[in-house]
Amino acid sequence: MAESLIEMRNITKIYPNGVRADNDVTFEVRKGEIHALVGENGAGKSTLMKILYGLERPSAGQIVLRGQPVTINTPQEAIALGIGMVHQNFMLVPSFTIAENIVLGTEPVKGGLIDRKTAGDRVRQLASHYGLAIDPDAVVDAVPVGMRQRVEILKALYRGADVLILDEPTAVLTPQETAELFAAIKQLVIDGKTVIFISHKLREVMQISDRVSVMRDAKMVGTIDTKDASEHLLARMMVGREVFLQIAKPPAQRGKVMLQVRDLEYVSEAGVDILKRISFNVYAGEILGIAGVEGNGQTELVEVLTGLRPSIGGKITLDGEDITNHSPRETRQAGIAHIPEDRLTNGAAVTASISDNLIVDRYAKEPYTKGGLLKLSAIKQLSDQLIEQYAIRTPDGSVDAGALSGGNMQKVVVARELSSNPKLLIAAQPTRGVDIGATEFMYEQLVKERNAGIAILLVSADLAEVMSLSDRLAVMKDGQLTAIFPSAKGLTEEEVGAYMLGLKQQTQLEIEKNW
Amino acid sequence: MQTTLPNPASGYDRAAELQRVRRERLQTALIDLSVTLITILVALLIGFLVLLIVGKNPVVAFQALLTGPLSRINRTGRWLEDATTLIILGLSVAIPFKARQFSLGAEGQLYVGALVSTVIAIYVPLPPVLAILVPIACGMAAGFLLGLIPGAMKAYLNANEIVSTLMINAIIIRAYDYILTYILTAPGSQTVTSADVQVFSQLARWSDMLNLSLGRFNIGIVFALLLVAGVWLLLSRTPFGYEVRMIGSNEKFARYGGIDTKKVIMLSFAIGGAIAAVAGSHLALGVHRRLIPGISFGLAFEGIVVALLARNNPLLIPITGLFYSYLRVGGEIMETQASVGSEIVQVIQAVIILLITAQVLADWIKRRRARRVA
Repeated sequence: MAESLIEMRNITKIYPNGVRADNDVTFEVRKGEIHALVGENGAGKSTLMKILYGLERPSAGQIVLRGQPVTINTPQEAIALGIGMVHQNFMLVPSFTIAENIVLGTEPVKGGLIDRKTAGDRVRQLASHYGLAIDPDAVVDAVPVGMRQRVEILKALYRGADVLILDEPTAVLTPQETAELFAAIKQLVIDGKTVIFISHKLREVMQISDRVSVMRDAKMVGTIDTKDASEHLLARMMVGREVFLQIAKPPAQRGKVMLQVRDLEYVSEAGVDILKRISFNVYAGEILGIAGVEGNGQTELVEVLTGLRPSIGGKITLDGEDITNHSPRETRQAGIAHIPEDRLTNGAAVTASISDNLIVDRYAKEPYTKGGLLKLSAIKQLSDQLIEQYAIRTPDGSVDAGALSGGNMQKVVVARELSSNPKLLIAAQPTRGVDIGATEFMYEQLVKERNAGIAILLVSADLAEVMSLSDRLAVMKDGQLTAIFPSAKGLTEEEVGAYMLGLKQQTQLEIEKNW
Repeated sequence: MQTTLPNPASGYDRAAELQRVRRERLQTALIDLSVTLITILVALLIGFLVLLIVGKNPVVAFQALLTGPLSRINRTGRWLEDATTLIILGLSVAIPFKARQFSLGAEGQLYVGALVSTVIAIYVPLPPVLAILVPIACGMAAGFLLGLIPGAMKAYLNANEIVSTLMINAIIIRAYDYILTYILTAPGSQTVTSADVQVFSQLARWSDMLNLSLGRFNIGIVFALLLVAGVWLLLSRTPFGYEVRMIGSNEKFARYGGIDTKKVIMLSFAIGGAIAAVAGSHLALGVHRRLIPGISFGLAFEGIVVALLARNNPLLIPITGLFYSYLRVGGEIMETQASVGSEIVQVIQAVIILLITAQVLADWIKRRRARRVA
């Protein structure tokens, strides 16, 4: 048994808004190992690592480093203890050279000026030692993402890190860059370093790690040796739940095709193919779920459907009307309501009043605007009514939306979107970051709307959620639908998980049959 | 101001909560007011110390600064004349600011407004009333179009509005100088000025109407107050104002909700431009009654201060405009009466502005933090 280097004991983290990100989590890392930390988004792995790196302070629990209890209040303290972290979003100065970025804050100085030559030499030496290919004199802005990541790793090593936390390092890399990164990680371990590797790409975890810890719902599910693990086992640990939220749901009364999507294509601003000829239907009175590991194009799909991003090919039809590349207002007028995945960024304006938040899709229409002026009485009437109907906890609509709790803020979004009497409701990650009570409320609302004959497109990375809510289930992987199941009943999470991870794929014919 | 609600496990007494929120709002308002007053006092104290350091008699100087604008009726006129321009300019920048667009184009827009309205007021014979309204309207149209340029560049090309508006200002001011010097100034004239505007186009002065020596203070103040009401109505009671406020609060949310954010951002620059042009017309038709070189002398930037002090609230702009021009005119009087150099006057003004805007900044930080926690 190798000695344990880091022990995080019974860590609990509760955010001020009441979200419990980590619940009594115990996590142990041994010296010289590559330890993968996996879990769904929101499972608490990033928070746990932020605690270790001093970015967040635990509400309870203890960190033991090399046998000594320590408190880590800032990243500076973490670095002094030999812990370095490479974030998913790089924190580099784009206009500085690579060498300048690496030595930033601890620059070698000669005569009061930065000694660029020494800096360059040291960086070159460090880079060649670990086989991390970089050009110290290149400006960060001009180098590819893979190199920027190597710069981040070198930055941590330069500051004397023994333990490197890599937060989803391969998310931005091409397969070839990933292979190079893995070679470098192996070199680090040979050199006596310890690596914590956060990921939800199970194949990579199997490939690189010595041990794997799995988190789910803010709890540690367990730690196993990678050689005893399989992707299927890990997938089940990641998404499997002992208790399903039980949802009473009468059989779907499926009506006509409400949304028809054919060969939809989207290319990101960076020129990457995000949506690759996606086709499906959503019928009135059903919930079509789209399952998938996040980052496989779901966000972009929803934003293309709602007019927030332009498609470059394909056709979107809502109730017979072509709405391809219509503006957000036009898609709303056509009858699409949208509960966005990031409610704080997209779904609400926290410095505006609740009333203002409730009318954003209809302020220009009667009775809210008459004769060119806003009709405050009509707006107040609407907001009072929605606050009452959705039990939003606020004295009245004039309070800033930012004063509401997460669950109540979500109610504001739901109240607005559902009260627009949509033909199609798109709900993206509708229960992320909200507590059980708000989750149940959301489920009830979705089922109620479906029973009332509205077509619902539910996009969720929470497998249990999509599986229990959906009437039909599609799986998205790498910008394509890899499966459409005519009924979500009788499917197992392992089976869906296999499609999510790309281990299995339906034929084009099977998919088309179930459009 | 943020009001936070407790989250009781069960039972929710809406009436009690409403009372509590109202009480908190009153408290916040009182705190805000007292903080502002304290800030002004502290700033004056610092100014006092500065005067001591430079070896002037601070008591005499401060008397001039604080009572000067009211000490003689013509000084009061000078104060109100200055306030008229500053109120209009404050309103003009409040609109793009409300949409979180840091437009600095008011200076150029002022020049264009002055130029266009004066040319019409000199050369186009018009009946009374129309002789005032038509030049001002044409100036506004020019200001609107000039605002449209950086607005469109920001909205559709994502060009930085600070850079673009400053560059456009530079171009416009040079063009103004050129046109004034080589086209509008009579050949052989000793000074660089245009001809006087026609009598009907002059904004009537209160000194003539009231038989008080209020100097060049004129009916422009009526336009300024009408604009206060108009901008308030626009921002808080029209769909466009709602769009501007939502974009200022969260642009992504506005877009998600169906607001044509690009169009609204562009229009916020343009409408601001139209109003800034009125300030130019006020200077040209009311104060000087002709075009002179450098007619604004950087006034537009003082307008930004006025808007910032009022937190872009159009109803507060007359108050902050009066306050700030009081300081400006008081400073001028201090300069002449206590022979304090204009640099020191500006230092004192700058300290006051710095402290007050720092408070605005502190508020902003508070909000950001509250949002992050939520």
